[in-house]
Amino acid sequence: MSQWMIIWRKELLELARSYKLLWLPLVFLLLGVSQPIVTYFLPDILANAGNFPQGTVIEMPKPQSGEVLAQTLQQYGMIGSLIVALGFMGAVSSERNSGAASMILVKPISRSAYLLAKWTAMLVLVWGSLTIGYLGAWYYTSLLIGEVDAIRAIQALLVFALWLSVIGTLMIAGSVWLRSGAAAAFSALGLAILLSLTASFLPSALAWSPGQLPGLASGFLLGSIPDAAGMIIIAGAVLTAAILYAAVWRMRRMELP
Amino acid sequence: MNESTMELSKLLPIIAPLFVIQLILVIVALVALAKASQTRGPKWLWVLVIVFVNIIGPVLFFVVGRRND
Repeated sequence: MSQWMIIWRKELLELARSYKLLWLPLVFLLLGVSQPIVTYFLPDILANAGNFPQGTVIEMPKPQSGEVLAQTLQQYGMIGSLIVALGFMGAVSSERNSGAASMILVKPISRSAYLLAKWTAMLVLVWGSLTIGYLGAWYYTSLLIGEVDAIRAIQALLVFALWLSVIGTLMIAGSVWLRSGAAAAFSALGLAILLSLTASFLPSALAWSPGQLPGLASGFLLGSIPDAAGMIIIAGAVLTAAILYAAVWRMRRMELP
Repeated sequence: MNESTMELSKLLPIIAPLFVIQLILVIVALVALAKASQTRGPKWLWVLVIVFVNIIGPVLFFVVGRRND
């Protein structure tokens, strides 16, 4: 445990030195804040930028506040997971290639403690960034569009945080199994896309698939919660644990230069 | 004319935080670039990327351009 604390602090220092502690939250905040603003000004933007003939009247239904937050989560599902991939695609492989991993693991530190410290540091940063960005989106939504049901919004945030944890854990595992950061990012994002695509194409056969997590998060905001909500959350947690176990398993057997 | 200026005064306080966040990203990236002894690719190119590519420019520099030393 104390071993783990020491490496964990080293990981946080590393995140600060590589500026991830700064740019990940800022990019999430930027994405989150711009969604309600763009939604709010969309009629004005269309009227000014579109090549509409003079006097065209654009009528748009005013969006519900829950819808706007759900769209924000959709943004996080696409650009946000790309950002998480960019941030953590080399979590282990870059340290392994540069020799830093060998230097650390020469000391009496267990490899699982090393990996778990990296994983928790990643989780803290991803959850923190997501929460900051989501709160920004929430604030602007209630300012510009309308009040949001707080309990529903928090439930959606927690479910979405689990989905980003799945993606982040996939990234860490990818960086353990593959030497190249780009390959890790491609395969982890590919798996995440596969999960959510199969879940949306076969909603009844894969009702419990963790790929339903982003849909479930939006469901909380839009007021349509599927029956299998509990099972999806459990499946997501189990999948995260399984990927983490696969990463630790490989880490223990890895040859270091 | 009058309408668009009215919209601008309504718009500005709302979108100002967006610009501030972007500005922070750009400035920190530029400072990191100035302090870095080595980068992947020429420095002047990174200045252009950081300043002109929205949001993703600074992120690309932090992820790809910086060398860990």
